[in-house]
Amino acid sequence: MIYPKKYDVIVVGGGHAGCEAALISARLGCDTLMLTIAIDSIGAMSCNPAIGGLAKGHLVKEVDVFGGEMARNIDETGLQFKILNKSKGPAVWSSRAQADMVAYKYRMKTVLEHQEHLDTKQEMVDEILVEDNKIVGIKTNVGNEYLCRSVVITTGTFMKGKIFIGLNEYEAGRAWEPPSLKLSDSLRNLGFRVSRLKTGTTPRLDARTINFDVLTTQPGDDDPIPFSFRTENFNRPNIPCYLAYTNEKTHDIILSNLDQSPLYSGMVSSLGPRYCPSIEDKVVKFFEKKKHQIFLEPQDANSTEIYADGLHTSLGYEVQLNFLRSMKGLEEVEIMRPGYAIEYDFVDPTQLKHTLETKKIKGLFMAGQINGTSGYEEAAAQGAVAGINASFFVQKKEPFILGRDEAYTGVLIDDLVTKGTKEPYRMFTSRAEYRLILREDNTQLRLAEKSFNAGLMRKEDYAIVKEQIRKIDEIKKTLKNRFLVPTPETNNKLLSINTDIIKTKTDLAKLIRRVEVSYDTLRTIVTDLPPIDKFTKQEIEIDFKYEGYLSLQRQQIEKFKKYETLKIPDDFDYNNVNGLSNEVKGKLMDIRPVSVGQALRIQGVTPAAISILIIYLRKHSDKRFKIAN
Amino acid sequence: MYDNDTIAAIATGYTSSAIGIIRVSGKNSIAILKKVFSKDIDFEANRVYYGHILDKNGTIIDEVLVSVFMAPRSYTGENSFEVNCHGGYVVLNAVLERLFEVGARMALPGEFTKRAYLNGKIDLSQAEAISKIISSKSKRALSVAQRQLSGKFSNKLDKIRESIIFIMAENEVVIDHPEEELSNTTKQEKVNKLLSIKEKLQSILKSSEFGNYLFEGIVLSLVGRPNVGKSSLLNILTGLERAIVTDIPGTTRDVISEQFTIRGIPFTILDTAGIRKTDDPIESIGVSKSKEAIKNSDIVVAIFDGSKDLQEEDIRIIEDLQKIDKKIVAVVNKIDKKIILDKNRLNFKNIVEVSCTTKKGIIELEDMLSKLSLGDINDADIVSLNAKQKNSLKNSIEICDLLIHDVKKDIDPALFAVDIANLVDELDEIVGRITNEDMLDSMFKNFCIGK
Ligand SMILES: Cc1cc2nc3c(=O)[nH]c(=O)nc-3n(C[C@H](O)[C@H](O)[C@H](O)COP(=O)(O)OP(=O)(O)OC[C@H]3O[C@@H](n4cnc5c(N)ncnc54)[C@H](O)[C@@H]3O)c2cc1C
Repeated sequence: MIYPKKYDVIVVGGGHAGCEAALISARLGCDTLMLTIAIDSIGAMSCNPAIGGLAKGHLVKEVDVFGGEMARNIDETGLQFKILNKSKGPAVWSSRAQADMVAYKYRMKTVLEHQEHLDTKQEMVDEILVEDNKIVGIKTNVGNEYLCRSVVITTGTFMKGKIFIGLNEYEAGRAWEPPSLKLSDSLRNLGFRVSRLKTGTTPRLDARTINFDVLTTQPGDDDPIPFSFRTENFNRPNIPCYLAYTNEKTHDIILSNLDQSPLYSGMVSSLGPRYCPSIEDKVVKFFEKKKHQIFLEPQDANSTEIYADGLHTSLGYEVQLNFLRSMKGLEEVEIMRPGYAIEYDFVDPTQLKHTLETKKIKGLFMAGQINGTSGYEEAAAQGAVAGINASFFVQKKEPFILGRDEAYTGVLIDDLVTKGTKEPYRMFTSRAEYRLILREDNTQLRLAEKSFNAGLMRKEDYAIVKEQIRKIDEIKKTLKNRFLVPTPETNNKLLSINTDIIKTKTDLAKLIRRVEVSYDTLRTIVTDLPPIDKFTKQEIEIDFKYEGYLSLQRQQIEKFKKYETLKIPDDFDYNNVNGLSNEVKGKLMDIRPVSVGQALRIQGVTPAAISILIIYLRKHSDKRFKIAN
Repeated sequence: MYDNDTIAAIATGYTSSAIGIIRVSGKNSIAILKKVFSKDIDFEANRVYYGHILDKNGTIIDEVLVSVFMAPRSYTGENSFEVNCHGGYVVLNAVLERLFEVGARMALPGEFTKRAYLNGKIDLSQAEAISKIISSKSKRALSVAQRQLSGKFSNKLDKIRESIIFIMAENEVVIDHPEEELSNTTKQEKVNKLLSIKEKLQSILKSSEFGNYLFEGIVLSLVGRPNVGKSSLLNILTGLERAIVTDIPGTTRDVISEQFTIRGIPFTILDTAGIRKTDDPIESIGVSKSKEAIKNSDIVVAIFDGSKDLQEEDIRIIEDLQKIDKKIVAVVNKIDKKIILDKNRLNFKNIVEVSCTTKKGIIELEDMLSKLSLGDINDADIVSLNAKQKNSLKNSIEICDLLIHDVKKDIDPALFAVDIANLVDELDEIVGRITNEDMLDSMFKNFCIGK
């Protein structure tokens, strides 16, 4: 039937991208429909039971500021919380939490169900309906046609998914769920480039058959910090993980059974992630390494299922069992679910704009693993941006685009649409040029205004952030305007907090810049400084201690922006530009960069080509420039 | 690519002309000029100023004429000035480097013209021609660079780059994969790696000096009291018939240089006119003048009259020379006459006896000069770098020191990353770009990552 209710936004898929897209779109007031293969697996974690991690923590917190749900959801259902890299500087701190997978997806499903403007239905989408390069609706496996003004596709690993366990293969979207067999053909027919990627997961073990006594315990932080800046009364358990190791015997078993691996026997030829190699890859490539770490993580608070992080494998069941049992503590282990590799269709993301709308079809958006990424957080961040822009498209508002200088989400999307990807793309802090500024701790401080102005943040939440900023500024001012004079008494006090004496009149901000001085130690000698909360303290210390490097990055950002603001018109004809090689022209016409800055990041576009382009653009599109001189 | 930087470059090229022009353009041009010029003047448009370019201690680098242009009426459309200085690599480079010190940066190929275009000084058809020029220039720049980097040198730099990227990747792995057990390099190992990178960069800088010798010429100065035969020796070395005396039109300056080659190595003698003139016994040579010549030279040739005992002025010259760190050749002239001079009193390692009259000993002198300039260096070890590349190399060496300091101080790896990225940027100036992808490649190739 042609369904009578017409929707503003239809979200295809109920994974991490789909949930954020649907929730945000509904929260922005669009009539939204989520269609997914299985309602019971909304918000399901296909792989590891954890949220966050290096650079991923940043993404979760950004999604939180954009009005998404991931941060709140993990704050309510986490089993342990930890700040990674605490021994290093604040720029690279990252939050990670073990999740109760069952509670996580259940809460997410509940939030969706109670969201105003959002309907959720269990149907598989088979076809995209398009007229005049504009989306009109979708068609599902039960014969329904839903009409709408925009669509966000978030099908994860499901399109033509194929699972490999040893030499056995079968079609599936995820271990125990049916694949989507028709949708990617519909996309191909619309002219999209679709290719294959692969990823893998680890065996799940029965806790009752593991000897935890001989393994190292890994608890979370004693004083955990929530992901969402809105979370109050945070009180979650601290359930430990355990550390086990492979050994030479494990490696022997793997090496002598490589013929049983679809990855090595040639059954799977698509690329998997380099940063997340299968155990067989690790053993082959890093032959000299005698042992590898395995993290044993609880899947949820109640079941006995244990996730064996570090053991992605596609080897056959018997081999999996044998190598597992060669490890200390796992001598008698039972597998509950075997590890497997999965190969799936993804859409080359260079066919997208920074809004995640396809360049080809108006109103069609894509987010998540379908764009070649991997990871819940990467999916959620894209889901948020696609949801926002699908809504803004419907509401005819200015698109919401994040720069590389503003957010990790901006870096992620710019990388995807500019460079594409050959392996499942994962976020790293090293991908962010300005990571000293794009820190996790200051996420809401740097994004609240933009988010609020775009209507993504509620007034009361924005007020919280504004108050945080005000407090930080106030204390910073106080410290800059308070001076110590080099009296013997003052200097004795300074020595008492293990820092050098001063020789001239010195403001307190200068003292805080010293590595060994903190606000708290300073307060022991300047006793009338006001007591401040942990967050404010942390922010002022970072601002002062890193001042030199921070201002260096700000300068770099200014330089970067110069090119970003040099826009290239949508319909720009590169054929008119003399001096560009055909190769460079081809690349530019393919990606259609929106700015000279983006053009600069396309691989194979030379600096010389960029100069030529700038000259041409100045002459033809920016008349103001000439008048100014 | 259009920015507010003030740019500078040698406009006349590095050829050995009598004068060289350095062009400077950009918003801060005049402020920069004020910092280096000997006179404190309120510069006006379209005027020429006579004076000196001073180094940071206020010592004269060169005597110059400066023409000042103000926006928009200049070639580029910006505030700009041109410095007319003495030709030759050494002087031009010294002035250029001084300008860099006070805030100018090296202009990119075609950048003056590009600015002229961007400021609407030239029209569209000209601009299209220029875009071709720019593209061909960079291609040429590329092939020149490739030639320069061919063979041994490029391998050397590639290896250095690789080792830097390895350190970078190692640092990133530590940041992005904190839960992994990665073989941790010790602090000392890291310092050693950086030290070895620094040494390699220093050795390249050193061999680039030989490159300068070979490509740009070695500056010789001839010193000696009047009448010891300076001008005769000069005429022999240069070949009198080739010694062209050029005057700079419109100025009264007569300081010029002359070039000649020995065994394929170009030599330049500065102030040849002065030497010829002051060798006239009537006019006495000021010691200060010879000091100036000595300062600017790579090799000093000190000439003595073998037929006479050392005179007071000779002794002063000997004493002066012993105080400086330059390669010195003592020439005992007039050996066709009766030798009275006691060679032991000369106290120099390299002594050659010649007769400018009979030309005896001249070949030995030429051998000596060639040996002193290139030594026994293998041609394959010689590199030629321009001022910009050298600048980058010097910066790189400084950054190595900073990085070593960082490691010793256990600096936050995110900050170390900023500093080492600067090192890569500097090297990129010399060898071409690397991308973030290279670093990731190195990371995944060399470290076992992934839970
Ligand atoms: C085996 C495996 C291993 C992985 N390993 C890792 C890892 O090691 N590290 C890591 O960070 N990430 C890993 N991931 C990836 C991570 O699970 C995904 O990146 C993330 O879940 C992607 O989110 P998504 O929203 O894009 O898609 P998914 O979470 O896959 O959700 C897709 C949703 O779309 C629905 N759907 C699909 N097709 C249709 C259709 N035609 N009609 C309607 N609904 C449809 C599905 O029912 C599902 O709800 C792994 C995934 C798998 C399957």
